[in-house]
Amino acid sequence: MVTVAGIYAYAPAIAALPLASFLVALFAGRWLPKEGALAGILATGGSLVLSAVTLVELVLTGEGYDERLYTFVAPAETFDLGFGVLIDPLSAAMLVIVSLIAFLVHVFSLGYMNDEGEPGLPRYYAGLGLFSFSMLAFVFASNLLMAFVFFELVGLCSWLLIGHWYREAAPPSAAKKAFLVTRFGDYFFLVGLVGVLATFGTARFAGEGGFPAGPTPVSALIHAATMVAAGVFLLARMYGFYALLPTVLAIIAFTGGFTALFAASMAVVKDEIKQVLAYSTISQYGYMMLALGAGGYVAAFFHLTTHAVFKALLFLGAGSVIIAMHHEEDMWLMGGLKEEMRVTYLTFVAGSLALAGIFPFAGFWSKDEVLFETLVHGLGANPLLLGGYLLGLSAVFVTGFYTLRMVMLTFHGDPRTDAAADPHGVGWNVKFPLAVLGVLATVGGYLNPAPLAKLTGAEVDFLHRYLDGPASEELLTSAHHYGDLTHEWAGYTAGSVAGGETATMLGGAGLSLALALAGAGTAFVLYRGPDPDRHTEALGDLRTVLVSNYYQDEYQVWLAEGLTLRTAIAADTFDQGVIDGAVDAVSSVSLFSGDRLRRLQTGVVTNYAALIALSVLLGLAAFAVVGGWL
Amino acid sequence: MLVEALIAVPLVGAAVVAVAPNEYAERLALGVSAVPLVGSLYMYLAFDGSGNALLGGDVAYETFFEWLTLGPYAVNYHVGLDGISLPLVVMTTVLTTLSILSAWTPIDDRQRQFYGLMLFMEAALVGVFAALDFLLWFVFWEAVLVPMYFLIGVWGGPRRKYAAIKFFVYTNIASLVMFIGFFALVFGLGDAVGSTGLPEIAQALRAGQLGALGLPGTGAAIPADVLALSAFVAMFVGFAVKVPVVPFHTWLPDAHVEAPTPASVMLAGVLLKMGTYALLRFNFTMLPEQAATLAVPIAAVAVVSVIYGALLALAQSDLKRIVAYSSVSSMGYVILGLVAYSYYGVGGATFQMIAHGLISGLLFMTVGVFYNATHTRMVGDMSGLADRMPVTASVFVAGAFAYMGLPLMAGFAAELFIFLGAFRSTVLPAAPLFTAAAMFGIVVVAGYLLWAMQRSLFGPFRLETDYDVGRAPVHDVAAIVTLVGLIVLLGTAPELLYDMMSDATVDVVEMGGELP
Amino acid sequence: MVLSSVPAEYYLLLSAAVFCTGLFGILTRENALMFLMSVELMLNAANINLVAFSFYWGTLTGQVFTLFTMALAAAEVAIGIGIILVLYRNFDDVDVTGPTTLRW
Repeated sequence: MVTVAGIYAYAPAIAALPLASFLVALFAGRWLPKEGALAGILATGGSLVLSAVTLVELVLTGEGYDERLYTFVAPAETFDLGFGVLIDPLSAAMLVIVSLIAFLVHVFSLGYMNDEGEPGLPRYYAGLGLFSFSMLAFVFASNLLMAFVFFELVGLCSWLLIGHWYREAAPPSAAKKAFLVTRFGDYFFLVGLVGVLATFGTARFAGEGGFPAGPTPVSALIHAATMVAAGVFLLARMYGFYALLPTVLAIIAFTGGFTALFAASMAVVKDEIKQVLAYSTISQYGYMMLALGAGGYVAAFFHLTTHAVFKALLFLGAGSVIIAMHHEEDMWLMGGLKEEMRVTYLTFVAGSLALAGIFPFAGFWSKDEVLFETLVHGLGANPLLLGGYLLGLSAVFVTGFYTLRMVMLTFHGDPRTDAAADPHGVGWNVKFPLAVLGVLATVGGYLNPAPLAKLTGAEVDFLHRYLDGPASEELLTSAHHYGDLTHEWAGYTAGSVAGGETATMLGGAGLSLALALAGAGTAFVLYRGPDPDRHTEALGDLRTVLVSNYYQDEYQVWLAEGLTLRTAIAADTFDQGVIDGAVDAVSSVSLFSGDRLRRLQTGVVTNYAALIALSVLLGLAAFAVVGGWL
Repeated sequence: MLVEALIAVPLVGAAVVAVAPNEYAERLALGVSAVPLVGSLYMYLAFDGSGNALLGGDVAYETFFEWLTLGPYAVNYHVGLDGISLPLVVMTTVLTTLSILSAWTPIDDRQRQFYGLMLFMEAALVGVFAALDFLLWFVFWEAVLVPMYFLIGVWGGPRRKYAAIKFFVYTNIASLVMFIGFFALVFGLGDAVGSTGLPEIAQALRAGQLGALGLPGTGAAIPADVLALSAFVAMFVGFAVKVPVVPFHTWLPDAHVEAPTPASVMLAGVLLKMGTYALLRFNFTMLPEQAATLAVPIAAVAVVSVIYGALLALAQSDLKRIVAYSSVSSMGYVILGLVAYSYYGVGGATFQMIAHGLISGLLFMTVGVFYNATHTRMVGDMSGLADRMPVTASVFVAGAFAYMGLPLMAGFAAELFIFLGAFRSTVLPAAPLFTAAAMFGIVVVAGYLLWAMQRSLFGPFRLETDYDVGRAPVHDVAAIVTLVGLIVLLGTAPELLYDMMSDATVDVVEMGGELP
Repeated sequence: MVLSSVPAEYYLLLSAAVFCTGLFGILTRENALMFLMSVELMLNAANINLVAFSFYWGTLTGQVFTLFTMALAAAEVAIGIGIILVLYRNFDDVDVTGPTTLRW
């Protein structure tokens, strides 16, 4: 029997294993079979097993773990700069999610990258390994400094992976844009980090994701559990800070609700399957923000979990479709794939129903809990939350619509191109991850079926109990501790509409389900049949706005090129003209006066003699005047 | 006698290399420079000093003997190392060896003179960091300019004469201003000091023994506080040119663009650190009260350097100019850390000197490797270099990310320390605002480096100059990969240097027994 | 002694006259040889002064100085003639206003 500390002592290995696979792929990948993929699979598999064991240990013993690993610089007078491992229910669960998805992405990459004969595989697997390492270390980070360090490394990895196909023009540009956008957020993160470290005041985090095109498995990794979720995870990790600030909470909630609707509306008109998923990810991220802002700590983490599963599933499913379509991503060139790709179709539909929030798939339960928490706290405490709730609720309809539109266009109807009629088969390494995630997306909701728990009184809200477990108690990261904080500091109390809590809950759930079904049904009606219409013309000018993402790109390009670059060029002109001009002016004046003065040197000896004689005479005269001889 | 060996070996080596046949000069120079490298590493390992050399700490490897007497002042040969100077000496020897290695490919003309000058410069640089007597220090300080002038002026690019003269005259005038300022202080101390020894002067100044400076023949006198303040300004301006701080920075891009790669490496890596080192040793160690009085304008200059330098880098299309302007930006952080007068501020500034030395050296070397292959540095002339030179491109990526302050690389540790120190500064009013403003540099730096990389390294391969681009020679790659290794090492284990640095800087910060 | 009756002012006047003659020569002549001769006149003007004051004060210092000056003048003439020869060889002339290429 291993002691508690015994198991936890291996926790750093959860991150260290992918680090090892990074080094192996980087330095030896070229000579290995599968060029680093196997090392990555082994390492992330090991991480998965280790994190699962850690999770089990946590549940069984009810003890957390908080241990300093490495001191960055010796704890000096003022700051404690070090790295450590924090295992509490939140991070233990997150470790399992991240390592599971990292593992599945590695397996999937065998099919997506290796079987397709892509170049630069060692680099790819090194990037993936580093990504997994950074993400896992980020998750078990015990302090904000460590979180920042690994968050930045995650940013680097996204840059590396998005820009993987660097020989083309678009990926490096997309990678740059993604890194810059995260960097902009990191700036605030850094200010917050330094502020927190220096004063123990509040920490603010502003992080918007950039969503450009990288290899599909990367998108899966970035969007599903990681890049984007990292912001939410960090918010959850630091919930103790935020729970004290009612205004910030309300703003987070409202922004979340707005993001949910805003991003979903852009997903409606996208033609490329990965773009739909990317905007959907932002939208779902909005739900998590909404939940956190509304005091639904458990709900947010629940949605984070289910979303990680079903969105990874959808991205990998999209990847599978893209392999089949010979790297074609436009949904209008697909159609009728369901006959040829049974496994992909079934799992993709499971993921889609989960995303749309259709009973009984995972997304239904988690999204419902998010909305429920917002509603009751909105009724009971802060009316701004009700605004967030309404935005989130409207997004349910839109989500149902774009999800089913995506399914219909991709898999139903008649094949619209030759590639769609005769798709390229996919191997076990693609089907296996899909199957695993498909099952999880279907049943994942039973992790925390809060309505069931409330209705029947059965103790089935496992996630809630888990996050409230004894392990988190001593570390002050338990759900009810946060509940107390939001209650005391932000004044969050639950309210309900007529009919009491149960009626509110059932009514809310019924409403969101009805909206999801309505959205899905509308899409089904519009896009059924062998050769569906686009129907986007009906939107008129709105379509242009949506397709161009509310002109966000134009705005960002303006910010980068119109504003910053122009300022820079103006600064350069100023620098060369005024500052360096002044320096050069000094030298010009010296050179010019020297040039004039040397004309005295005529080269004629007579002139020199005359000058000497004249000077002597002048000198004499001067002496005469000063000496008073005259 | 180790310091003397560190100065004498390259000095003698320089003479030997200067008369050696051109074919052997490069290997001979590499061999000679390995001696101080090994020596300084040994000195790092065997370092037993503590405290600040100027403020009564235990000086390691100290040598002292009387040299000459100037009026009432004894001028002594006094050298020694503490936790601030030893890392700089190690960095000097490391960078000299690596830049000699990086000179093998591009320098194919008058090799013996070139390598002779490089070694001579190394000797002078070690002297600058080791000297503990003002006049001795000044001799080394000025001696550094001479080889650099010739390195730029002889082996430089098309506008080398302009750049070399600008560099020499600009920095020399600055030295004059600084010299006057310093001697005004020495005269103001009057009988309180009997030598030009830096420790003696520093301790006398900190003990408040500065008196009014009488002006001969007039009967008037400059009061002590005015004297101290104007001396501070004179020395600050003198050193600011060397650092360089906006608005005294314009010689730097010209010098860098024209200088051959190894000279650029030394210029950015070590010569700029002379300025910040001197600022720390003179202004901030000797005149803390004046530094506190002028904290706001100095911090403003630092922040302007950071942001303005980064913006200028964004507007450039010559890779070397980009790195040159980003040096201006990075050195702004050092000034900010110094003026914060806090434990992490000054310690972080010292750490940033090393970090920036290695990182900018790396970037210049890598740009040089590209230039050797492509014969152009203009971003618009090339794209997709990563396709032909994958290893060099990867190293450039690593260097660029190090410059951006990517965690676990040396730049991050340095910037984090500086930000932490500056944020908590008790000397600087509105410290958090200044810090937050300076931090925005990390966004702009990411912008211009990523953009430059995107345009030159990635995309389809294209080269305007008609050269056959292949993989870089092994010795070039070895030099840059070594630097990457060092940067990662210092980034993951900053305490390798930070311990000894903070041990020496803490005395600077400590005022009246209080540690901000 | 007859000489003792001659006052020092006369010697000075003579010296000034010789000096001015030399100066006039330098300012007006273009022939290098004339230059050399004019310089000799100016040197000798100084010599006259030295000898006169030496005599006036009754010390030998000034006369010794004069000897030095004469030696110096001889050396100067040697070099001067040398320069003039080179001048003639290169320019076929001894006109000093001709060769001005060393000016800037």
